[in-house]
Formats: sequence, C-alpha cells, structure tokens
Amino acid sequence: MTNKGKDTAGRVPAADPFGTADFERIFHPRRLVVAGVSSEGFSYGGALLLSLQDMGFEGEILPVNPRGGTFSGLPVYPSVEEIPGPVDFAVIAVAAKAVPAVLEACRLKGAAGAEIMSSGFSETGTPEGKALENEIREIAARGIRVIGPNCFGIYCPRSGLTYLPNPDLPRESGPVAFLSQSGGMASDFANTGKWMGLRFSKTVSYGNGSDLREAELLRYFREDGETGVIALYIEGVGDGDAFFRELRATARKKPVVVLKGGLSKAGGRSVASHTASMGGSGRIWRSVLRQAGAVQVEDMTEMAEACLAFSLLPKRAVRGISVTGGGGALGIAACDAAESMGIAVPPLGNGVKKEVLALLPRSGASAANPIDVANPYTPPETLKRILGIAAREEGVDLQIMVFLLHHFKHIALTEEKPIAEVVPCAAFADSMADVVRETGKPVCIVLPNTKRGIEDLDIVALHARARQAFLERGLPVFDEIRSALRAVGHMNRYYGGKEGNP
Amino acid sequence: MSGDGAAEIVEKALRQGRRSLSEHESKQVLARYGIPVTRERLVERREDVPKAAGEIGYPLVMKGCSEGIAHKTERGLIHVDLRNAGEAVEAWDAILAGMNDEPGGVLVQEMVRGRRELVMGMTRDPQFGPCVMFGLGGIFTEILNDVCFRRAPLEREDALSMMGEIRGRGILDAARGMEAADRDRLADMLVRVGRIGLDLDGVAEIDLNPVILAGKNPVVVDALVILDAPRRKL
Repeated sequence: MTNKGKDTAGRVPAADPFGTADFERIFHPRRLVVAGVSSEGFSYGGALLLSLQDMGFEGEILPVNPRGGTFSGLPVYPSVEEIPGPVDFAVIAVAAKAVPAVLEACRLKGAAGAEIMSSGFSETGTPEGKALENEIREIAARGIRVIGPNCFGIYCPRSGLTYLPNPDLPRESGPVAFLSQSGGMASDFANTGKWMGLRFSKTVSYGNGSDLREAELLRYFREDGETGVIALYIEGVGDGDAFFRELRATARKKPVVVLKGGLSKAGGRSVASHTASMGGSGRIWRSVLRQAGAVQVEDMTEMAEACLAFSLLPKRAVRGISVTGGGGALGIAACDAAESMGIAVPPLGNGVKKEVLALLPRSGASAANPIDVANPYTPPETLKRILGIAAREEGVDLQIMVFLLHHFKHIALTEEKPIAEVVPCAAFADSMADVVRETGKPVCIVLPNTKRGIEDLDIVALHARARQAFLERGLPVFDEIRSALRAVGHMNRYYGGKEGNP
Repeated sequence: MSGDGAAEIVEKALRQGRRSLSEHESKQVLARYGIPVTRERLVERREDVPKAAGEIGYPLVMKGCSEGIAHKTERGLIHVDLRNAGEAVEAWDAILAGMNDEPGGVLVQEMVRGRRELVMGMTRDPQFGPCVMFGLGGIFTEILNDVCFRRAPLEREDALSMMGEIRGRGILDAARGMEAADRDRLADMLVRVGRIGLDLDGVAEIDLNPVILAGKNPVVVDALVILDAPRRKL
C-alpha cells in the first residue's frame, strides 16, 4: 500500500485510486481484525464481535486485546502485529488516543480499510480531538481507507458485517445502499427497513468522515452493480462542489434519496441583499438537491417508503392509479392525496365499470374509481377478479389495494377463534401477486391499522404477518394511502424528470 | 457572455473601499455580461437634464444614484412618469434635496411598462458557492417569499426548471392580455447572473429587483451589487 493518488492533505482526487477490489475487501473481508475486545465487562469491540457471530459473519474474526486470552471461543491476539498473515479490514474500538497506533498497525498488515467506532475526535471540538483526527487522516493518506471515526461502521448482509449493536439484521441482500453521517440513523434505518421490507446491498455509517465520506461513496455506489437505489442521510458535506458533482452524476444513473438533517433557518450570517437574506442554508440545500436530481424526503419513514417503492415497483412514472378498498371516505382520501401528488384517479370506462359492478354487493358499493367493495370480508378470489378487470383501464398504471384487516376481529370473536386463523393472509397475498403477474401492472398494498392499543396486540401481530406475506411476494406495503402515494410521487418526479416531463 | 470590463468596475470600487456599486455601475456590470437593463444616463449637472431626458425619451423615470443609497423609494428619490423637460428638472431639484449632498448623480431612465415584476439575484453559500435566485419581484418578493435557487454554473435546464418551481409560475404564462414571458431570455439571464458569481470574487451578492416583463421581454429595472474583498480561490 502506498499513498498513490493522494495529495498531502490526504484528500482523494477525482479519479478513484482504489479499485473495486479494495472496496470488496472492505465490505466482504475474509480476515477481520476487531481491536478493543475486553473479556471483563462491556466493551464496544466485544459487543460488536458478539453481534458479528450472531449474524454469522462469513470471514475469520481476529480479536485483539493487550491482555490476550480468549473471547467468545476465539483466541485474542495481544496486538495487531502478532496476528499471523495478512488482514483485509479492521474494526477499531479502542480509546481515542490509542487509535492511531492500531490503525497504523492495520495498515502495515495490509488492511484495505478500517472502521473506527471510537469517539473522542473532531466531534468534541477540542484541540486534542482534532489533532487525533488529523493523525488518522495522515495514516489514511499513506494507504488505508478509513470509515469514521465516531461511527457505527458497515452493515453488509452478504458478508455479515453489522453495526454496533445489531446482531439480528437480515442476511438477505437487496438493492438499497445507505450512507449515513449518523450512526444512530444508520441503525434505525436498517431496523426500520427490516420490517418494512427493504433489503440492503451495503450500508455505511461514516461518522466524522475523516477519509471516506459522501462524495466518494456516492461514486462507488453509482458503479456498484448490486445497488439500485441509494439513500443518504447528511447533516453537512466535506466538499460542496465534489458532493454536488457526484450526486448529480449518480442521480442520473440511479435514484438517490436524500434526508438532510438541519434544514432549519441558519441564523447569524450577516448579509446585505434581499437575495442573501432569502437564501438561508436550508433553502439553498433544497435547491441544490433538487438541481442535482436527488429525491428529497423530510424524515426517515418517508425515506424508507421511497426506497421501498424504488426497490419493488417498475422503474417508470405512474400517470394514473386505481384504488380499491372498503369505505367511501378512504376513497375520497385517496383521490385528495393523489391529486396533491399530481397522480390521476381516472374514472373507469363503462365496460370495465359494468364488469366490476357485477362482482360487488348490490348496495353500498361503487365501481367508479375508487372502487368501494363495501365489504371488508370480500374473498381473495373476488378481489383478484376486480383488480384484474380494473387493470384493463388504459389510464391505470398502478393499483392500490387497501385491506382493513382489523374488521376481522368481529369474525374472530363470533367464531371464538384467534384472529390470525380467520384472516386469509396468504390467500390475499397470493391473489394480489396473481394480479400483478397476469396484468403486468404493479399493486401497492395499504394496511391501515386503527387498532394499535394494548388490548389489540393480536391485531398488531396480524398486520405484521400480513405485511410479511405481501412482501414475500414482492408487493410493497404501506401503512396509509397517503404514504403510498407520496412514495409513488417520488418515483414520478424521478422517472418523469428523466424523461423531460414536469 | 464575455463580461469584458466588468471586473474593472468592481475592482475600482473595491480600491475606493466601497461596499457596493451604485445602481448605474451595477447595471454596467450586468450589461457587460449581456443582461438586458434599462436604457439610462447618469446626469451630474442640472443643465444636462433636458438633453439626457430627450435622448432617453418620455415618459421617463429619474432616480437618485449613489453608492450609499439602497432604499430609494422610502427616501423619495424615485420619480416616475415624467412627461416633459419641466417635470424632469423639477424632479432633479427634489431628488437633489433628498440626497443630502451624497456623492453621485441622478439617473435618467426609460420607464419600462409592464405589470409583471420578477426578481433575480446571486448569493454565496458557504458550502455550495455562488447560487442564483429567481422568483416573484417587486413588493411581492418579501411578502410572498416565492423564490428558488440554483447553484452556479447553471445549465440551461437548471434555469428553465426554476421557472416551473415557483408557486407563482403562472405569471410567466400568457394571461389577461399579457404575452407569455420569453423563457429563453429569462433562462439566459439567470445563467449569466451565475457566471458573474463565478467570475468576479469581489461580488458578494446581487439583487435585480424588479426585473420587469415589458411585454414578453424581461428588463432589469433596478440593480444592486454588494461587494466583498476578494476571497482566496480554493
């Protein structure tokens, strides 16, 4: 390893001096150092090592602690130097002041990179902290890529690398990459994605971003064949110009969903013109993200929902939708939400309408669009036929199916059975998957749950099971119609924009 | 978009230790970048008023023009719809009385007719550098706060997309007997404002307000360039 391609400040120039192979060794290390495990009491290194074992990490784990001994069945090396043979990657969780020496030892061992979980660096604002971080930057410039410090590191399902303290994230890979300045956000997003149905390619919490950070990681994920959509949580960027260039180039190739923390009004900057006073940093950020073609979201849930839509729905804009469910108010809410997102809810033509109507109860139902089935217990087979017919409507590009599963509580009480036994989750999911396969038009599932209290935990559990059944069949699930349409709206802005439409 | 001579105007003002350009100087910078501004003459002597006014043509506007004057309306230093030499000379006297011996002169300016006022501008963001603003102008700029920004350099598409981003975008369409605004021209102006930000380190901020649509054609009617000591190139 040399400092090829880096300038004296340790910055990486535009051309990537590291090939994909080195990122391969970072995300899928065969030999992994974990420095800072302690057999006495809690240690971050120890906790991470246990998480790696729980995850079934694919590589060899090499724990390091000056006292040696064993940890969780593994021999502990007194120092990095004493590990026999080369290493690929390192997790460093020792005290801040000890980090530079350990990092340098890893570099000399030939590690492609290291994640430094330890805090006590520039984030403290102290001269000592900043000096330590500069030391790290200098070592990185000599030929080891650094993630952190002050971060939760990497979660990569394929290799089993995981964040602290996450022993139970999915090992199943998927198209979503996540870059996060915040470790807490990285962990929260991975856990939210787990139940929401997101599957990740590679994710990085980069903390202080002393070496690898947003711009270079965007470039890597732009070219990463495993990644189809990139989510990004940022509070600030290292180099605004590089960030903009990489973001714009990346967004042209795949969707980049950005959650920017800290958009509230920046105060205190003294300005003389109206233009400057109106251009607070939040406003400029939004404009710059829009200019770069990024998908902007306001919170983590919206980010996850957008990623879900980009992951599971066809890569194109949606002009119009059909909405099927029970209850007139839901339909009206759907129309209102759709209109605000610029999505049409076209009335069904007479032929289609007549066929749908024949499948509905005589009173209370409606076969306009939205379709009100007026019966929460409509059998899966009937729903399948309704959506199959509605899909023939030319202006319908996507169908929304709203299930009101809590109504089954009534049947459960009457029949004196657990609710899980009276709701045909698998049959509902099969019927909707059939619709997608037979019509070629995607279906979004909406599972609103109005019963979430302590006395309705069976219904809460039912919704989790139902969600899983739909997700297993590749159908995206949203809690509310509005959330589904908001996610579709993001897709429309992204794919519509690319085609030159508004 | 050469900008030839614009840097000299800025540098001269900076050498004089000034914090801004006068309206007339600001417009000279803009004109050198090919941005359409009002036809105008800077008049420094009372006896030159009728000649300048005749050259510009009636009706016209007269404004006190000095580096230190930012809020001309509030100070009664703008006189509009002047229809003959007598009114112009009267306006001169009133403006001079209001200027309290500040250095500068009086701008004799064509009166641009148009009911639609836009704003353009440039500010420097600490992370993203020069950013260009576009939005509703005149008194609505601050009341409606309907503006958007793009980072420089702007591509043509960036500038055009700004016109679709403001809530009041309908103002650019043909309506109530008014022609649709020349969007190509507007886009071109926005690209050029960004170019000034990239070229001239000494320009800290720019306000072009109002930019009036005379028929379909945008014209910068008032301009303010705020200066800053040149920052070190990164």
